[in-house]
Amino acid sequence: METAAIQTHGLTRRFGALTAVEEVTLSVAQGQFFGFLGPNGAGKSTTIKMLTGLLEPSAGTIEILGQPFGAGALELKRQIGVVPEGMALMGRLTAPEYLRFVGRMYGLDMATTNERTDELLEFMQLANESRKLITDFSHGMQKKLAMAAAVIHGPKVLFLDEPFEGVDAIAAGMLKAMLQGMINRGATIFLTTHVLEIVERLCSHVAIISQGRLVANGSIEQLRVGVESTLPGAEQEQRLTLEEIFLSIVGAGGQQEPAQELSWLA
Amino acid sequence: MVGVDGPPMNGVAGVGAGGGMLGAQARAQYAALARLRWHMFINGLRVKKGALELGARTISFVFYAAGGVALGSGAGAAAYFLTAFGGWRFLPLLLWAVFFVWQMIPIMLASFQDQFDLGILLRFPLRFGSYFLLYVVFGLLDVSTILGGLCCAGIFVGITLAQPGLFLWTALELGVFAAFNILLVRAIFAWIDRWLAQRKTREILGAVFMVLILSLQLLNPALHRQKHQVVANPLGSANTEEQNRLRAQEFQRTKALFKDRYGPWLERVNAVQQWLPPGLAARSLRQAHSQEPGSRSGSLESLGVLGLFVFAAGGVLGARLRSEYRGESLGVAPSVRRAAEVRAREVKSRAGKSVGGRLLDGSGPIAAVIEKEVRTLLRTLPLIYAIGAPLILVLVFSGVFIRSGSQGNAFPLALPLCMVYAQLGFTRLFYNSLGAEGAGIQLYFLSPTPMRTVLLAKNLFHSALFGLTLLVAGILTALRLGQPDPMVVLATIAWILFALPSNLAAGNVFSLTMAYRVNPGRITRQGGSQANALGAVLVQVLVLGVGAGVFGLCWYLDKMWMAVPIFLVFAGVAVYVWMRGLGNADQLANKRKDSLMATLMKAG
Repeated sequence: METAAIQTHGLTRRFGALTAVEEVTLSVAQGQFFGFLGPNGAGKSTTIKMLTGLLEPSAGTIEILGQPFGAGALELKRQIGVVPEGMALMGRLTAPEYLRFVGRMYGLDMATTNERTDELLEFMQLANESRKLITDFSHGMQKKLAMAAAVIHGPKVLFLDEPFEGVDAIAAGMLKAMLQGMINRGATIFLTTHVLEIVERLCSHVAIISQGRLVANGSIEQLRVGVESTLPGAEQEQRLTLEEIFLSIVGAGGQQEPAQELSWLA
Repeated sequence: MVGVDGPPMNGVAGVGAGGGMLGAQARAQYAALARLRWHMFINGLRVKKGALELGARTISFVFYAAGGVALGSGAGAAAYFLTAFGGWRFLPLLLWAVFFVWQMIPIMLASFQDQFDLGILLRFPLRFGSYFLLYVVFGLLDVSTILGGLCCAGIFVGITLAQPGLFLWTALELGVFAAFNILLVRAIFAWIDRWLAQRKTREILGAVFMVLILSLQLLNPALHRQKHQVVANPLGSANTEEQNRLRAQEFQRTKALFKDRYGPWLERVNAVQQWLPPGLAARSLRQAHSQEPGSRSGSLESLGVLGLFVFAAGGVLGARLRSEYRGESLGVAPSVRRAAEVRAREVKSRAGKSVGGRLLDGSGPIAAVIEKEVRTLLRTLPLIYAIGAPLILVLVFSGVFIRSGSQGNAFPLALPLCMVYAQLGFTRLFYNSLGAEGAGIQLYFLSPTPMRTVLLAKNLFHSALFGLTLLVAGILTALRLGQPDPMVVLATIAWILFALPSNLAAGNVFSLTMAYRVNPGRITRQGGSQANALGAVLVQVLVLGVGAGVFGLCWYLDKMWMAVPIFLVFAGVAVYVWMRGLGNADQLANKRKDSLMATLMKAG
């Protein structure tokens, strides 16, 4: 049996009295494009932070590529690329300076770093902005740069926290093609986003987290079959979209209350 | 926009309601802001760090209060003696001193003051007048304003005790003078922040600043020559009485020479300063005291001109705040045409070569961090300022030592004292070395480079910079005061070898446990950490105390050579502690990871 790219057992994170993530157990196979979904505040970013070593779990274990993962797993970190929630950019550097810095921090030699920096800047259409400080970049440009930094060392596992937020349609298309290319070459991608159309198009498997607990996990087709089987006969005839599946699952958890009328709004 | 220009909505009073910046709506906003500040204060205490901050702030407040009361009392005593015993012509000097305290201290303390960024209020329907008023009112909490205010209060008491009849006039004059200072200091910082907000103006400002520092340093040899021309001792080894007589003659000769050479120039300076705010305030008071005919109207005239300065300072501040209020865009995006030209040029120049310049070719993470630090430092004016400003004061202090030396020689321990002062500029670099990383702190935890390597690289870079700065300060001191005793030089170097790793060891711990975010584009409106600042001061006082104790003892015993081995032993211990600290850095960083990222990544 092939080793899972990402494996968690009973992953839990508490902040004082609040349990942000509770007993999350999941497995992501190598070469899988995995979508991790959930409403706001469900625990997606907390989970991704724990999986990438940015946050210490309160309980549970994490294995990446079959090895236990913690803050000290430096060799394992070389196999991982991350676009975190805060993007990890350094505003006072230019894009090429930043990418060169990141490449060297991941242990690439100077020649390879330079070569990849140039290629990535061209690919991300940032080469013309090479003199501008990152702090002066638009949000979308910063996202593209964060993506470039996440892949410069050729990671085997890529964690993406809302990578398409603020990115224009042309760049988003380009990034999706790049990610699909990585999957085709055997990389594993763990993606969180609120744009369900993207997940539906790119991901083969999804997990849904709600109120810190994993409420669904499997291929999109498995989830669809599961949800459709709970619907009354007439409704089973239409093929459900991921958005409908998501709303059905999360709504079933009692989150989805009918919106009340705000009488004072125009 | 509804609620601002349009008719009031259901439940919304609208800006116009109540009218004016003291109207009902504005008052409600001030109250909301006061509540906000109170909630921020209370919520801050919920976490351990907040309670620590409160303790540190209380201690700092006691220090500032003691300093302020001492300064105010000193100013009051000076004012009393000047006005009671006919020294009115020297009153401008006192007011100029207050003026400089008021305008210069905020620069020195900007990094240690936690300041509220009022820019966040602009999203609300706030009148411009209210915004202006709030900006000024928040300035009243600045340390400089409190110190300046205490000085003015002291001067008021001093003059009133000496000349009770001038009670009202003094209150009025000093009140207007204080208003001018409050508005000016706020205007200066509002404009500096504006210039720092854009890369081009930031770089120009940085260049001007560097030129200023270099100019001051180049000034030294010239001053040094002047000094030697004036104080050269022609006597050699004659007896003490003869020496004293000749020294008195020399003093008279120097005084005459000074008067001849600088007298006309000083006259011109005096004529100009009389029309500037401190001079105007002093002149107005002097005229009010004078019994000569027409002096009262002259006093009113001076007060009127001072009032004009207040309006001018308010106008300069208003112009800046109005732009902020209107939502100015400080983006650096060039025009479409200009952007196309720049792109074409860059594509052409990029053909066949890697983009961007390189500083260090080393592949390893240490070279990468050092290169990043160099680039960040060069683009972070507050840090350049923090390093450069003490050098200017070394120049000033070395002048003090020239005069304080016995028998015409400079104070023998001037070199170590100047070194100590130059070191103070590194407080922020040593004790908050991660502060300018912002969201980039995440990268250190994501990458396979251990935190100890990152800190080691930062320590190496800061040490090199520290060495360079001390070298400049040392050369500066030697040029100004003459070559110091070689044994003092050796002892000073040995002390530095002790002080540097001590500061680095403590600084690494502080950087991981009490970091605060440094906004590289601002001098004012920085967040800060009183706990970090106070802790850093305490460690530095300890290191300085050890240094002073050893220096003092060896000097007293007339065995300065002894200081060298003593400091070297201390240095060995400090290096050991520093290395142990680096070894534990990853453990500590992982323990503090959450709060470190939360602090450095917070907006604003």
